[in-house]
This record gives sequence, structure tokens and C-alpha cells, in this order.
Amino acid sequence: MADSAATPYAVELDGIWKRFPGVIANAGACLRVRPGSVHAVLGENGAGKTTLMNVLAGVYLPDEGDVRLDGEDRHFSRPADAIAAGVGMVHQEFRLIPTFTVAENVALGASPRLISRSAIEKDVAELAERFGLATVPGREVWQLSMGERQRVEILKALWRDAKVLILDEPTAVLTPAEAEELGRITSTMAADGRSIIFISHKLDEVTAFCDEATVLRGGATVAESLPVETLNGAMLAELMVGEATEVSQRRTRTAPVAEANALDVSEMWVTDVHGRNVVDGVGLTVRQGEIVGIAGVAGNGQRPLADAIAGLNSNGVGLVEVAGKDVSALPPRARNAAGLAYVPEDRIGVGLAPRMNVVENAMMRAYRDLSNGPFIDRDAAEAHAETLVEDYNVKVGQMHAPMAALSGGNLQRLLVGREIAGEPTVLVAAQPTRGLDVQGVAAIQRILLEQSASGVGILLISEDLEELFALSDRLLVMHEGRIVGEFDPDVATRSEVGAAMAGANAEADA
Amino acid sequence: MNQETLIGLFISVIEFGTLLYLAALGETIAEKSGVLNLGVEGMMAMGGMTAFWVGVETGNPWMALLAAMIVAALFSMIHGVAAVVMGADQVVSGLALTILGLGLAAFLGEDLVSKRPEARFESVNLGPLSDIPWLGETLFSMSALSWLAVVLGVVAWLVLTRTRAGLALRAVGESAATADAAGTSVVKIRLIAVAIGGALAGASGAHLTLALAPGWSEGTTAGRGWIAVALVIFGAWQPGRVLVGSLLFGGLIALEPRLQTFGVEVSPILLSMLPYLLTIGVLILLSVRSRNRPSVAPAAIGIAYRREER
Amino acid sequence: MMNMRLVRRDTPLAGGQVRAFVVGLLIALLFGAVLLILSGHSPITVYSKMFDSALGSPRGWSATLTRAVPLGLAGLAVAVAGSMGMWNIGAEGQIIAGAIGGAWIARIAPELPGPVLIPAMLGAAVLGGAFLALGPALARSRLGVNEIITTLMLNEVAIRVVRYLVNGPWKDPEGNNFPIAPELPEQSALPTLFERANVGVLIAAVVVIGFGLWASRSAWGYELKIAGSSEKTAEYVGISMRAKLFTVLVLSGAIAGLAGGIELTGSSSRLVEGVANGYGFTGIIVAALALMRPSGVAAVAVALGAVQIGGEAIQTQGVPSATSNILQALILFGALTAAVFSEYRLVRSAAVPSGAAA
Repeated sequence: MADSAATPYAVELDGIWKRFPGVIANAGACLRVRPGSVHAVLGENGAGKTTLMNVLAGVYLPDEGDVRLDGEDRHFSRPADAIAAGVGMVHQEFRLIPTFTVAENVALGASPRLISRSAIEKDVAELAERFGLATVPGREVWQLSMGERQRVEILKALWRDAKVLILDEPTAVLTPAEAEELGRITSTMAADGRSIIFISHKLDEVTAFCDEATVLRGGATVAESLPVETLNGAMLAELMVGEATEVSQRRTRTAPVAEANALDVSEMWVTDVHGRNVVDGVGLTVRQGEIVGIAGVAGNGQRPLADAIAGLNSNGVGLVEVAGKDVSALPPRARNAAGLAYVPEDRIGVGLAPRMNVVENAMMRAYRDLSNGPFIDRDAAEAHAETLVEDYNVKVGQMHAPMAALSGGNLQRLLVGREIAGEPTVLVAAQPTRGLDVQGVAAIQRILLEQSASGVGILLISEDLEELFALSDRLLVMHEGRIVGEFDPDVATRSEVGAAMAGANAEADA
Repeated sequence: MNQETLIGLFISVIEFGTLLYLAALGETIAEKSGVLNLGVEGMMAMGGMTAFWVGVETGNPWMALLAAMIVAALFSMIHGVAAVVMGADQVVSGLALTILGLGLAAFLGEDLVSKRPEARFESVNLGPLSDIPWLGETLFSMSALSWLAVVLGVVAWLVLTRTRAGLALRAVGESAATADAAGTSVVKIRLIAVAIGGALAGASGAHLTLALAPGWSEGTTAGRGWIAVALVIFGAWQPGRVLVGSLLFGGLIALEPRLQTFGVEVSPILLSMLPYLLTIGVLILLSVRSRNRPSVAPAAIGIAYRREER
Repeated sequence: MMNMRLVRRDTPLAGGQVRAFVVGLLIALLFGAVLLILSGHSPITVYSKMFDSALGSPRGWSATLTRAVPLGLAGLAVAVAGSMGMWNIGAEGQIIAGAIGGAWIARIAPELPGPVLIPAMLGAAVLGGAFLALGPALARSRLGVNEIITTLMLNEVAIRVVRYLVNGPWKDPEGNNFPIAPELPEQSALPTLFERANVGVLIAAVVVIGFGLWASRSAWGYELKIAGSSEKTAEYVGISMRAKLFTVLVLSGAIAGLAGGIELTGSSSRLVEGVANGYGFTGIIVAALALMRPSGVAAVAVALGAVQIGGEAIQTQGVPSATSNILQALILFGALTAAVFSEYRLVRSAAVPSGAAA
């Protein structure tokens, strides 16, 4: 690598602050990327990685702080400004037009006035070859795999001659083979003098693909430009999670776990639209009063598993028993009636209807019981909502105002409260505290503990290791659709669990 | 059935085909950019009224055509402002445009009803070509507007598939956010597409009042605008297929008054339902076919776009 | 560089839709006045004549309310579909189908006494409208085929079916070769309520109000609201989207069909080609102005009914009847504009200067 004193950094982000209503996404974050290097930006969910990258890509204006490219101050007010300055970003959700060919997607907005299909396809093919990106320029994008689509996004950036390429969690959608391929592509691009920013929270791929790593936590940089050779998993995990009080938050169990099973799942398979098994023969058991945590990197099958247990995934097959009763053949409503409550990951848009009011959202599970004949008893519905609001301390301005006006913490308290109000046997809670502020997190965790103490079995799916360690009686780790490990949170260390999340066991076996 | 009747039929097919194709081509372009405009019937009426009026005043069909296209394009901007700029529902706004256009054309054209046409598009004499038996009497005796329609269709196809602007227009119709991120101006492109749709519907109206049935009366568009809307779907949003569809539907219209001459004992009214039923059939086929692949319809059709603000 | 852009207001202006309607009406009257002046009429004379004939007397009110019946029912039909995010553009055709259904009963059982015949005709009208919506409903709920185009196409089909009937098999042999069906039996006419208004006004009022109550109070209406608000939430709660889409579109057609039945038994003495008279299309404007709410549908239907009756009255002064159509469309465009401004405000913005966003 060139002498850093003589070469200005390709990218310098200095003291970036970005606030959103109720959230501080970046609190003085810094990042320096050398030209021709692959630079990892690491951090847990919510650490502010994506926001910081969106600042660099011109999607957001920073509230404070400087953006410099090659030592020059830059102010991007639109994505187009950043593109013009040579910054390309591959977002997690691809921005491609499915019915356009690869070449058309690449050339969109950056082609000569007159387009010859064959000429453009030839140019795209040449560019792809130069960087070792296997692609078929004449193929329409809807026919491509996720990995191939990602290569089209990278081609789009290269076509616009991006000197800095941001890849936002690029391996999340890739198969292991595709991920390896991506590693080769990034090193080719770096060898060409371009700088790649590689956002990740997987430790193994950072050591494999990157030169340096910057770690974010809580919106701020906690470690800057560490050479990857000096890293080890334990150290990175500690940086990402923080040397937080490991034992003090661990809950103390007051009542023993019952012997009876609240939830039995066996041989659960779910396929996605491409026919891949996203849940691969999962079996698990939650006893009454037990909290079973599921840890895993996002996108390893947790969400389809939860949906399938609740009966919401039509591509799922498997046995689900609630308190010993087989509910596998039942539709969602009947499963709920059988004692299965579900707090879905998407609380707005799945668990709640944001445009409907508090009363209407509160009675989603109970409205049939609140009816006289075909008509809903309005007073009873109102009383039902008021009870929930009081019991779970939901701060609402008006009972008849749309839900959307409530803050995230209050929305979630109402949703969790509503699910518990039916006195379920088992509660499946997917990412129940994600995106909430400190009090919100504490309130939800307290509710979960109370329910556990009163005998409800809880399946807690979370990406927050700290939360899982604090609440779980048992901890399962999910990787690529399978349960790859079971841990006792009282004994296990975070690095052990982290390694399992990264698929380390599988590698060790190989 | 003799040769004369058949030639008469073919001429009529071309005439009605032209009427439908001009309007349907314009609607295709608008829909390709993601804007459904159900105002075709109204824009057609405005164009037809304007063309006849200017024809009466100037005696010059080309002036009349130009005026019709300009007036209809300006008129379509009501939909453009409401649906594209302000993001109102495209269905409501388009239907209101039809109601407004029919009303305005009737109101402004009241005094034209009794007027004799002073300008009309006659068939273009292509010299020796027009003397060829059969072809000379049909294809090579088309009016200038029919030639214009074919030329515009080819131009539209070339622009849509072979130019940066066409690529951008289609991109806006597939995913406005993606196109916006790639630096194209969604609102500008959609407004232009709607205006082109208006101008071509205006030209279609001009063909109606200057060539097909010279004269003006309220209700002269007789639902042809709705067939144009249907044709866009029937032709799967492709200028070439829309042309084929226009000739087919134009043929059905041309057959209506001739059924008895051909000794067919079916009511011509029942025949006239076919375009609509065929379109429903095509729509269902398209949706069955697109089970495992994206629909041929522009994905962003009917969806207003406003850049997200945080 | 200065440019204008729309910025969402923190809270929408209160009473937005009523205000929007009033603003729309004012804009329409203003543009209408310009047109009238240009064509040599006095807007004041014309407008006051319109007002007087539509709302200035019991007779006027009776005509306005009678007109509000098909507009309101068509508007309700559109609004019902709209509550599930669907557009029933086919109310026009469904009105015709309803009228055909009613006329068919009168054809096959003309001797039935009124109290039996009228309900039978109205029932057949409801079924006729529902029948025309059946195909689009199946296609939408089973295959996901967009209902906008299918219902729109069926309008044109329905118009031709009635044209075929009154020109052919159902043509009145004593009709002097006019394309009309024979006169309906006398006892099929809806009883008069007052002046020119008949019982149809009551039926429509009961249907609109009844549906409004049913939608807002019943468990079915609540499920409908969830399904219309968020498809994923509906699935989560266990509501079948397919069933809801199908039922709602068929119900929408049935309501429009009823409008056709009431038109037939109330306002016309026989089946004619123009029985729907654009009411189905105006119904879309009604529903849009009422923001798909049944309560609003009733009010808007009366308002637009008055515009139509007024518009028909001024023909005697040589003002084209198209005036009322122009006014109706302009009210909608005016209201659309006003509605946007109750949610957004126009601000001048310079291109954001460097680092100024603190």
C-alpha cells in the first residue's frame, strides 16, 4: 500500500452527525479509506453503518461533519451529486428494473443519446470482463439470481466510473459460493485503484475480503482503520457489542420452568420464491414459562420460521404443536385461538394497521368476542383498548387517532399487550425491541419476563445478543436455515455464540 | 360479394385503423411512462372539435391538424398537473378529463354542428403506385393522416427502444424511484409523455372530423377513445402490436355496416362487442402468463411518484 | 436556483374535504362563468336559473333528489370497491345490466301485482349488476387481473347488449321503429313520494345509510377496513383477501344494478339504450369527492344532482346542456387541487447551500 502521508485518503468522513426524529443515527462517526483498499465498516444492527453510507452517497445530508474525497470537501444534496463525484452505492434492496436487460439497467441515464442494443451490450460485456463479473448483458434482470443482480448493481457503479464503491451488507443475499466470488471481484476493483467500502457484521468475511476495518457502535466510531491481520473474532465482537456488563443484566429466574411443552416445532421446511430452502428442517421446543432465544445474522431464516409457525407462510411445511395440540393444518386465526400469539418483525404493516386507530388496532384479535351478532359492541371495544393502554402504559394522545401517530415504543407496547391479552400458551416474538429507545426496550423486556414468570412459553427471535443473553433460558443459533447450536446463556460466551452465528462450526467440520 | 365491396371494406379498415391507432399510440406512450390516462375520449373530442373549427375558418387541413394536436396536448396537461405533478389518482383524474373534454367540445362546438366541412384530408395520390389494382385503391390511396400514423408508430418504436430518452421513459414507467436515482426527471418525462398522448388523441380526433366522417356533432367520438385504451392492453404496450390490434379492431368496426352485404345473419351490434371481450381475454391471458415472470404492463402504472423526504 | 416544491404539512388542514369541495365548486363556477361570458350568456342569470330550478322549489328538490338516487347508488358502488383499493369503473354497465334484469322480469311476468312485481324487478336488477361484476371479481380475486380495465370494457359490452335488445328481440312493435322496448306494465312504477320524487329516493337513502352503518359497526365492516388498509395485516389477523376482494366487487356491482332497477321502475317507463345516462361515470366523481365514505356519498350525490338538474333547466335559455358536465368535472379538478393543498404546502426552496442544513 502507498505511503499514506503522501496520498490523501480516497474517502474521509469526519465527525458525522445525523439525527432522525427520536433517533440519533450517527454521533460523530469517522471513516478514512485509503485509495485502492477494501475497507470494512463493522457494527451491529442500528450501529449507524447504513446511515453513514447514505451520507457519503448523497441520500442524506449530514447535520454536522465533513465529507472529503481525495482531500477535497464535498457537499452532496442529491444521490446524483455523489454519483457525479465518483461514489457508487449498492443498496441492500437492489434498484434494478426487472423487465430491462442487464445492459439497459447498466446504461440507464448514462448512455449516448442513440442506443444500439448490440453496442451497449458489447460495452457492458467488456466492462464486466475487465473486473471479472460474470454476466449476460442481454438477459432480463428478473431471470437473474440475487448474486447476478448484485453484479449488475456493481456494473452500474463501474459504468459511471465510480472511484468509491459502497457495498451495503452485500453478502446478506448471497450463497457462500457467490460471496467468495464477490471477494475476488472486490480485490480486482481495488487493484484497479478503486476503493471499496464493505459493510458487514460478519466477522469471517471481513478477515477474508478486507484490508482494514472501522467499527461503529451507537452511531460513533469505536475503532478506526484497524488492519485486519491484527483482528480476531473475540476482539471484534467486543468492539461491536461493547464491554457491557455481561452478568449484571442477566435475569434471575424466580419460578422454575415447567415440564409441559408450550410449543413443539419439528421438521419445519420453508422455501422461498426461488425454491431455496430458507428454513431447513428446523425442530425446536419451548416449555411453558421458558424463554428460548434464537440468535442469528439477519436473513438466515428466522423470519420465515416465525411466519411459518404462526401459519402465515404458505410455502412452509412442518409440524407445529401448541401445548401438545397439533395446529399444523390450522389457518392463522385458529392457531391464535389455540393459544399461539405472534409479535411479527414488521410491527407496522403486519402486526398493526397504521392508518386505523388505537381502538381498532387493539381489538384485532378479540373483535369477534366483542361482537353482538354481526355488530361490534363499541363500548366493549373501547373498554378493551383502554385496558390495554393502561395495563401496558401505552401513551396515546387520542384513542381515535391513527396508530401511525404513536412512537415506536408505544406501538410495540400496544401490539405486545394485545397479543398477551388473549392469554396465550406461547408467544413468538420476532425482533420485539428492534429500533426502540432505551425505555421502550426495557418495557418490552419486562413484559416478556413477566409473561415467562406466569407460565407463557416465549420464542424470542433477536439479532441483539445482549438481549438474548439477558433473557433466554436457552439460546439457539440459526445459520442458513438450520439450528446450528444450542447454548446455555449462563455458561456460554459471546464469542462462542458469535462464531456459531458466522457459521464457524460448519467450517470447523469441513 | 364483389370486388368493389371488398375494396370498400379495406379502405374502411384503414380509415378506422388510423383513427384508433393514433389515439392508442399516444396512450401507449403515456402508459409506458407510468401514467394511465382514461381521458382519451375527451381529448379526442377536443381535438376533433378544434380541427373542424379551424378547418372551417382556414380551409387548411394541416393547420386544422396542428391546432387539434396543440389544443389536445394542452388539454391533457390538466391530467398532467393533477395526476403527475400533484399526485392525484390517475383513474379519477383521467375519467374527469373525459367528462370535461366531451362537455367542453360540445359546448364550444355548438355553432359548428350545422357547418359544412371546408377542409378535409383526401387520399394521397402516389402516381403509378395508386394505379396498381387492389393495393393502389387501398393502401396507396390512404389519406395523409394514415401515412402519418404509420410513420409516427415507427418513430415511437425507434425512440422507445433505441434512444436514451426512450429508455428513460420506459424506466420511469417501470420504477420511478429507480429512474430518479439514475438521474432522470420523473415529472418532466411523464408530463411530456402525457402531452404526446394528448397530441396524438387530438390528431385522431382530427382524422375523425376531417377525413373519416367530415363534420362535427356532439357524441361523434362514440366511445372510440375507450377502444384506444383497450388497444394498448390488447397490443401489450408495444407500438407494433398495437398497430396490428388497431387494424383488427378497425376491421371489426368497418365490418359492422357490411355484415348483411356479406350475408352474415349476426347482428352487427353483437359484433361490435368483440374488441372489448377480446381485450378482457388478452388481459386474462397476460396475467396467467405472467405468473412466473413480470407482467408486460409498465409496473409503475397508476402510481404517483413523489421523492421521499425524511 | 429558486424553485417551488410541495412539502407535506405536519398536520393536514382540518375539515379538508368539505373545504376542498367548496373550493372546487367555486373554481368550477368561476371557469364556468368565463365560458358563459365568452359564449354570450350572463353567468348570473344562468347560475340563478340553475339554482332556482334545482333547489328553489319543492318541485326542483324532487327532481334533484330523484337524480341523486342513481348518482348516490353509483357513487356508493364505487366507494364500496374503493374501500378495498379497487376501482369499479363499470358502474355504468352495471346500471344497464340492472335495468335489463328488471325489464326482463316485467317481460316474463307482466301480470304480477305491483307489490310483487316491483320487488322482483329490483331484485333482478341487483342480480343483473352483480352478474356483470362477477367476471371482473373472479379475475381479480383468483388471477389478480386488474379490475379497472375489465369493468371498463364491460361498460361497452353492456351498452351494446341493451342496444341489441331494444333494436332487436325486445324492440317495441308499436314503437314507430324507434329503438325502444315496450312500455312497462303500469303497476311496475314506483309510488310517488312528492312532486316528481318517487319511493326510489327512500330506497337509495336506506341503502346508503344502511351500508354506512353496516360498514362502520359490523365485524364484517371492520374486517373490510383492515383488508383495505393493509393486506399483510389482514393475512396476519386471518382475513381472506381473496374472499374480501370477490365479495366487495360483486357487492359493488349489485348496488349499481339497484340503481338501474330504480331508474327503470322510477324514472323511465321503458327500457331504452340511454338508461344509464353517464350516471356510472359521475358516480366515480361522487365517490372521489366523498373520499369513498358513504356519508359523503349522499351529500355529494345531492350536490351533483342539483348541478345536473340545473344544467338541464338552462337549455331553455339556449345554454348547451354540456354545461353541467363541464361544471362537474371542474368541481372534481378544483377539489383535487384543494385537497392536495390541505395536505401539502407550496414552499419556495433554493437549492440547498453547502452545509446549511443544521
